[in-house]
Order: sequence, then C-alpha cells, then structure tokens
Amino acid sequence: MPLHIKRLIGVFAIFIALFLVMRQVLRPSSFGELGHFRAKAINENALRPMHYTVADSCTKCHKDIRSDKDLGFHIKLKCEVCHGPGLKHALYANRFKNKELPDSLLLYKPGERKDCAICHNMNRARIKIQFDTINTTMVHQVNVMKHHVTDPKTKEALKCIDCHNPHQP
Amino acid sequence: MNEDTTKLSRRNFFKAGTVLASGVAIASTLAPYDGLLFAAEAPGAKGKWYGIGIDINKCIGCGKCANACKQENNVPKDPFYFRSWVEQYTIKNDGSILVESPNGGIDGFKQSVPDGDIYKSFFVPKMCNHCAKSPCTQVCPVGATFETEEGIVLVDETYCIGCRYCVQACPYGCRYIHPEKGTVDKCTLCFHRLKKGLQPACFEICPTEARIFGDLNDPKSKLNYFLKNHTCMVIKPHLNTGSKLFYNALTPEVR
Repeated sequence: MPLHIKRLIGVFAIFIALFLVMRQVLRPSSFGELGHFRAKAINENALRPMHYTVADSCTKCHKDIRSDKDLGFHIKLKCEVCHGPGLKHALYANRFKNKELPDSLLLYKPGERKDCAICHNMNRARIKIQFDTINTTMVHQVNVMKHHVTDPKTKEALKCIDCHNPHQP
Repeated sequence: MNEDTTKLSRRNFFKAGTVLASGVAIASTLAPYDGLLFAAEAPGAKGKWYGIGIDINKCIGCGKCANACKQENNVPKDPFYFRSWVEQYTIKNDGSILVESPNGGIDGFKQSVPDGDIYKSFFVPKMCNHCAKSPCTQVCPVGATFETEEGIVLVDETYCIGCRYCVQACPYGCRYIHPEKGTVDKCTLCFHRLKKGLQPACFEICPTEARIFGDLNDPKSKLNYFLKNHTCMVIKPHLNTGSKLFYNALTPEVR
C-alpha cells in the first residue's frame, strides 16, 4: 500500500473517532428513542401549566348561578366563555371565605356593550340561510350601536345588563 | 478509442434487464405504492389517534377560541402571534372575496361590507391541522419538531434553533417565532390538558359546539359521529399532508 494512502487512512480514523466522541458528548440522552427527536420533550410539553378549568368546578360553589343558567338560553355556555380562565380561582378561592379575594384571583366581570357585542352584534355571517326562505340565527342578533342606547326617561347611557340578566337572558 | 468500453453483450443486457424488471414488479406487489394517504385511519394504529372537526355552519365568530388559546398557552398578546384564530370570509355579489381577521377575531368582528353587497359570509376558525405527513416536521434540520404516537405535532423548545424553516414549510400558516424565547411555537392541541384527561381549551370554550375533538381510532367517539353525518373536507387536500382537521361546509374559497 502506498505511503500516502496509509497516512490518509490514519487521518480518517482520527476524524471518525473524534466524531464518535463528540456525538456521544453532544447528543441529548433521550434523542432517538422514539424517532429523530428527544423523547423527553413529550413529557416537557405535557408538564406546562393549565389556566382553564372545567365547568363543573365553577358550579360546585356557585349553585345559584347554575340554577339561573339552566333555565335560560345560555345553558350551554360554560362560565369561562365570558369570565375568562378560572383554574386559579377554582383552586384557591375557597380559602377566602367571607373575606375579600385578592386581585389575582378575581375573574373578569363582563358588563360593557362590547362584551355582549362579540356574539350578539349584527353580522351577516351569523345568519344562516336555509331552504331559501327561512333565515335562522345561531345566536340572537341585535344592532348593539342602536338597541336602546339611552334610557328614554332619564337619558342616561344604558348597558345591556341593565335590562337583561346575562345568566338568564 | 478502439477498445470496447461497454463489454456488455446483448444477451447479458437482456438477462440483467429481465431480472431488474421482475424484481421491481415483485417488490411493488409486496409493498404497494401508497402515495395518497388519508389520515382518517391511522397507519397501523393502536391507541389514540386524535383528530379535529370544525362545523363552519355553527361558528358565530366570537373569537373565544382564539382568546382561550392565548390565555391557556401564554401566547404573546400582540395581534400577529396566533396558534388559533378566526377568519371571516365575505363573498360579494360581484364575485370578489374578502378575508378579514382583525386581531384573530378576539375583539369580535365588525361587518365591513353593507348587507346589500354580500352574497354570502361565514367564519372559518383555523388552527394547526396536526398532519399525519406534516411538511413542517420533515424540514426541521435538528429534530426539534416531531409527531407523537397520538398524531400530535409538537415542538421541542429546548432543541429548536429558531431557523424558521418550518414556519415557511407549513402550508396552513400555523407556526410563528416566539418573540421572547426565539424558538418556534405552535398549537400542541393543549397536550398538557390531554394528558390530564381534559379537552383542549378552545374545544372546552366554544359556545356553540362548533369545534369537535375526538379520537379517530374510536368508532364511538364524537368526532367519528360528526364525520359520518356531515360532508367533511380538509383544507388544501391536493398537498397530501394527511391533515386531521376536518371542516363541515368547507367551500373552495377557503385556503
């Protein structure tokens, strides 16, 4: 075998050995167990914190609201649709019986016109036309900018919740 | 140049050719070409194989799903980072199509076209399709994104180098670079909730039950019932991504 080939083989052997050592050091421990990724990443994704709870956890304490809601059109709405994520509130609010809740545990209380308008403002896309003649709506549609904006007697600005009970509309 | 360079006789050429052709024919019967893959059935599946159904007819465009997704997964509040968002498609009488998504639909939609000009209008909620043959995982140079056994496409945040290759590869535009972490972020189908036996936040929150979540392997699941009873289609079927997000009443305008 010529000398230059022998030398080349030596150089290659050193490179391959270096590569194997570096691969052993740099590769994360669980890489390649289930495929071309770190198997531990699945668990890391599963351990992220939750913010939303489930509807049952609200009505365990707020029974009065539940009995209200069960009679109205909003029966299918979950509390967190309007009030926002409530896991923290559901877990810790019990400790503050008869005391003021700290701000971090308070949930959003929607009451402005814009809160109701998100679902109930007039929009052509919310009206589904069926059988050519009958128009159906998934939700009740009003023009929020015009629908009883001020009180006819006192001329004060009215909110939606002044007339409608949001839990039993 | 007088030397014969081919050295292959006619007889040997035919022999080799016959062996090669019959070999290909036998191999193709053993493992047939399955170019088109529809994800409704998992490839040799046991266990869970999650899919998503969205009923466009039922969506009222409240944007609560987009809002819930942002709150549950700590997505930046700026109006250009979304894991899940809602679009309003308006088809006018002159045939032109208008697509709007102000802040992903979180603050609600305002009808921008007068009633008289509209031929039809509808909302389309969008999110990661959790493709069975996802283009985004195929292009990752470091193996930082992958499909789990349940058919969920996840991202390994500690391993992502932020090269943005997958952001460009996703045909549905469902990935973004997280401005603080510098790594890619996408819908995990609320993997942390699934593991606790809960529904993903956007499915939990939908007020009209327009979003249906379930196991495609389970013949009794809600999703399979939905798929059987509606004419469902995926977005961009010609790309053959094996998308598992099925829309009812999907029209060709939606892309």
